[in-house]
Amino acid sequence: MPVAASAIYFLNLRGDVLINRLYRDDVGGNMVDAFRMHIMQTKELGTCPVRQIGGCSFFYMRISNVYIVIVVSSNANVACAFKFVVEAVALFKSYFGGAFDEDAIRNNFVLIYELLDEIMDFGYPQNLSPEILKLYITQEGVRSPFSSKPTDKPVPNATLQVTGAVGWRREGLVYKKNEVFLDIVESVNLLMSSKGSVLRCDVTGKILMKCFLSGMPDLKLGLNDKIGLEKESQMKSRPAKSGKTIELDDVTFHQCVNLTRFNSEKTVSFVPPDGEFELMKYRITEGVNLPFRVLPTIKELGRTRMEVNVKVKSVFGVKMFALGVVIKIPVPKQTAKASFQVTSGRAKYNAAIDCLVWKIRKFPGQTEPTLSAEIELISTMAEKKSWTRPPIQMEFQVPMFTASGLRVRFLKVWEKSGYNTVEWVRYITKAGSYEIRC
Amino acid sequence: MAPPAQSQRSPSPSQPSGKSEVTDLKTQLRQLAGSRAPGVDDSKRELFKKVISYMTIGIDVSSLFGEMVMCSATSDIVLKKMCYLYVGNYAKGNPELALLTINFLQRDCKDEDPMIRGLALRSLSSLRVENLVEYLVGPLGSGLKDNNSYVRMVAVMGVLKLYHISAATCVDADFPATLKHLMLHDPDTQVVANCLSALQEIWSSEASTSEEASREKETLISKPVIFYLLNRIKEFSEWAQCLLLELVAKYVPADSNEIFDIMNLLEDRLQHANGAVVLATIKVFLQLTLSMADVHQEVYERIKAPLLTLVSSGSPEQSYAVLSHLHLLVLRAPYIFSSDYKHFYCQYNEPSYVKKLKLEMLTAVANETNTYEIVTELCEYAANVDIPIARESIRAVGKIALQQYDVNAIVDRLLQFLEMEKDYVTAEALVLVKDLLRKYPQWSHDCIAVVGNISSKNVQEPKAKAALIWMLGEYSQDMNDAPYILEGLTENWDDEHSAEVRLHLLTAVMKCFFKRPPETQKALGAALAAGLADFHQDVHDRALFYYRLLQYNVSIAERVVNPPKQPVSVFADTHSSEIKDRIFDEFNSLSVVYQKPSYMFTDKEHRGPFEFSDELGNLSIGAEATNDVVRANRVEANDQDLLLSTSEKEESRGASNNGSAYSAPLYDASSVSAAASQAQSDSLISNLEVAGPQASFAIDDLLGLGLPAAPAPPPLKLNSRAVLDPATFQQKWRQLPISVSQEHSLNPQGVAALTAPQALLRHMQSHSIQCIASGGQSPNFKFFFFAQKAEESSIYLVECKINTSSAKAQITIKVDDQNTSQEFSTLFLSALSKFGFP
Repeated sequence: MPVAASAIYFLNLRGDVLINRLYRDDVGGNMVDAFRMHIMQTKELGTCPVRQIGGCSFFYMRISNVYIVIVVSSNANVACAFKFVVEAVALFKSYFGGAFDEDAIRNNFVLIYELLDEIMDFGYPQNLSPEILKLYITQEGVRSPFSSKPTDKPVPNATLQVTGAVGWRREGLVYKKNEVFLDIVESVNLLMSSKGSVLRCDVTGKILMKCFLSGMPDLKLGLNDKIGLEKESQMKSRPAKSGKTIELDDVTFHQCVNLTRFNSEKTVSFVPPDGEFELMKYRITEGVNLPFRVLPTIKELGRTRMEVNVKVKSVFGVKMFALGVVIKIPVPKQTAKASFQVTSGRAKYNAAIDCLVWKIRKFPGQTEPTLSAEIELISTMAEKKSWTRPPIQMEFQVPMFTASGLRVRFLKVWEKSGYNTVEWVRYITKAGSYEIRC
Repeated sequence: MAPPAQSQRSPSPSQPSGKSEVTDLKTQLRQLAGSRAPGVDDSKRELFKKVISYMTIGIDVSSLFGEMVMCSATSDIVLKKMCYLYVGNYAKGNPELALLTINFLQRDCKDEDPMIRGLALRSLSSLRVENLVEYLVGPLGSGLKDNNSYVRMVAVMGVLKLYHISAATCVDADFPATLKHLMLHDPDTQVVANCLSALQEIWSSEASTSEEASREKETLISKPVIFYLLNRIKEFSEWAQCLLLELVAKYVPADSNEIFDIMNLLEDRLQHANGAVVLATIKVFLQLTLSMADVHQEVYERIKAPLLTLVSSGSPEQSYAVLSHLHLLVLRAPYIFSSDYKHFYCQYNEPSYVKKLKLEMLTAVANETNTYEIVTELCEYAANVDIPIARESIRAVGKIALQQYDVNAIVDRLLQFLEMEKDYVTAEALVLVKDLLRKYPQWSHDCIAVVGNISSKNVQEPKAKAALIWMLGEYSQDMNDAPYILEGLTENWDDEHSAEVRLHLLTAVMKCFFKRPPETQKALGAALAAGLADFHQDVHDRALFYYRLLQYNVSIAERVVNPPKQPVSVFADTHSSEIKDRIFDEFNSLSVVYQKPSYMFTDKEHRGPFEFSDELGNLSIGAEATNDVVRANRVEANDQDLLLSTSEKEESRGASNNGSAYSAPLYDASSVSAAASQAQSDSLISNLEVAGPQASFAIDDLLGLGLPAAPAPPPLKLNSRAVLDPATFQQKWRQLPISVSQEHSLNPQGVAALTAPQALLRHMQSHSIQCIASGGQSPNFKFFFFAQKAEESSIYLVECKINTSSAKAQITIKVDDQNTSQEFSTLFLSALSKFGFP
């Protein structure tokens, strides 16, 4: 039985209940106590997000300073339950305007109860789409379309929307200026060995879209991916244009995308929801352009001194630049003092995380700043064992650059009224887990 | 629902104790109840909020029920909702007061606003008071026919709630049939989806009693229904799609065309952004193609990419859920994933539960082509700060080595581990080297050179120490100072806390003695003396046994203690293939995460023996106890598990337990032998001086001989007075992994003697194996046994199911100390097979 939840609890880090909602009678009323006693107050916390206590299973997730706990007594669908929590949190965030934490919950608990009632019934997820829910559950509550004074919005319309066929879009939207914003956001994951060979590297990308379009528009998106281009040239029976094509390992789409058409014609066509949403996600493992190369040399000079030299090379275009570059170089726990020389940016020793933190606010392409540091260690008799080096970690953002090479070729908008639209496209590549062993 | 129990922790400042606040609220609500002043709704709202927040933190505000209901006459929808929430929470505990709410809820069910109709209907069906169901039937009936889909959607769930309160009322009102009609005809997909979940629940639970219901249950997975729903799948919400796909996975297509039709229709679901939909689709594909091997394999290839994407996106918890499924598939078909091993590399900051799964997958996919890379990667993790993961990765290296790929390089790596000079690395590596040598004795030369350099002082963990000592004994001819290391260890006999290590030490000294008698003689004398004086029964017995063996004949002693060994070819696997298949059938559920089939954690019978013993109690008391009572007790017991009120449980069961433990004639093995040995030990120690030279004379004879003989297992002694309270048994049964699970045939005498469970109980007791619960009637019996290692806390737990008609016993053993599980299993089976013989 794919029940997703018998009860949901929101707890703060001390274990105080912020919200509790029981959906089914098959779990007892004191599940929170069991959770506190067997998970929160033990070392078990954080060792596994799914635990069984007695006859019940607990799924829990920490989101900022709140634990969301789902309790079930049957052989439930775990993936569905976690996805439900994630979606519910996204929904709450869109109601609170960003933050989801203990304070936000305390301030909005009535609203959360209202929402919990709507998004799940008797343990089965119902409608979680913020666009639709916002039509009849409002943060103020006062302005409800169902309050004693009838508002302009006709009531039956709202409930029709709750369950309508195009669940993600309302009819009758009007914008003065029709605009579409496309953001291609990629994160590069890298694991490089100490010898400089790439052990593992992939890019997970997503296309975020913000739509301000009137009516019920039909959109079609063209990318420079290999399959799409091949299909296109097949259909138009002319050879594919030369230029870089991308091989996507896997793609997933927002529910608005017509998957059947994607499978037959390899085009991404859809009726978008209003406002902001994630259109698609993709993953690429072949032909990734790494934006940075890191060349570390770390020498241990005797027992009390270490020499660290790190060279970071930016390998994207000269005219581009990276922002917010942070390089974390791990050093032993018993580091006493570190002195630096950097050719760019600033570096300091952060004892809390046992790292040298080197920050470069603006990092132009095709440059290679270096850091050289001398580390003094406290000599201890106990710590004679050799230090195991954690990897160097890197954070960055490179605007107008995609590690995968993905480009938007076109975005077409059709609407029966035939208005003109303005399209904006932005690219950005961020560091996912960018690790270099040293 | 019962009112939430007051929190037992001392109230913190933010959580007031409640009494006076509740009284305050009461008076304030009273004042507002009749008021029609402007702005009264706002003040009501504040008060309601307070009430709800008290309710949330566990303060009992049920005493306000009357006032809340009085204040509920309002047109403010937010107030209404808070009131509904409150009523839903406390109605069950206050059935009389709940009656007060019926009136206004029923009125709201007829409101012109569909939203209010829906809300009222949902609250009405959430009251959960059995004697109020009559008021529910009418509104539900009209709700199902409502022209607004929101109301219908709520009403359908209402029917399911009604079913759980009073199944008979629900069936009598013919609601299931209405739902079926709605499911196949309603234009709104959420209504259809809710019908589907409701019908699945209702008919599954009705099926056991009514044939019609089980027929209806079958029609749910019949071709017309499945195809009707599949054709509408794209209109369904993502959650409803999960539900529907789950149903499709149960469908058995008539021919392969149908299979391909369904797969073509669903293929695009693999691209869905919701991971739950993707997993549900994968399940459909895997189940549909089970009988078509080639296609099944293609399915694996097809689902690989979506699964890997899901793993790398979303929160760690979500990837954990997906990884557990991937883990299952990887273990089923490692060769398909062997080229994707890089996806299983761990990131530095990943939580350890993710890393652990990845390590197991890396181990599984290792083959000739990728072993080098995988082992190199695993070696990186060995230096991980996360010690459990470092240990796991060393074990993983060992497992790969035992799979026989590129052993040469791996042995080098393992030996490097030994040189890393980290306690836990050395400890794990030692255990691995030992296992490796048992399988590949040809590597002994390389390994011994390194192992010989390890100072035994740096090895503290019992398992590692035992492994080191085993190697010292086994390869003492190749290690120059083996006798002296062993001698040193023997001198510190009293500081060695682990009996396991002491046992190994005894055996190792013996082995060493056979190979290098003059050097070891002294150590052997000391070890035997220390062993005989040891307070631990096993150690004592083994020392005595060795001593007498040597006294009897040294060459026979060598044949027993140090026979030529066969390399171990395959180490035992823990999971049976049947269990693995069960888990696979339950794809996309908790079973996969727990790595055990659902009956093991949802069936009360399998969760612990106590529900079972309850049942037994009722059965043996007499036949008057009806099934209902039993069920009620079981539910109660289940709740109590979590209430932790074990004391009551003990009380209720203690009587029968103690009875069975003490009524049988006690066979007091341990005290007898202890007394005997005490008497002998003095003379023995003085004899040792004589025994030594005697033995070394005999060595000349010994060199020429070498008949292979099976090594005698170290005898396992059980404590005949073992006592275990039911709660501990239950807890242990849940915690421990299955050590041994096997089927055993019973001899005809045994079957004949097993007319009642009690007969076997007495028999097993005479073998120091106690029964904690038993039950059943011919031909099926079920027993829960336990035993305790003599003079040690290590406990053995056994579940034994006997079918007398097929003369089979299904035995599951769980133990504290994994090393002795085989011995215990042998002992248990031999005790069992003696049953029936006078």
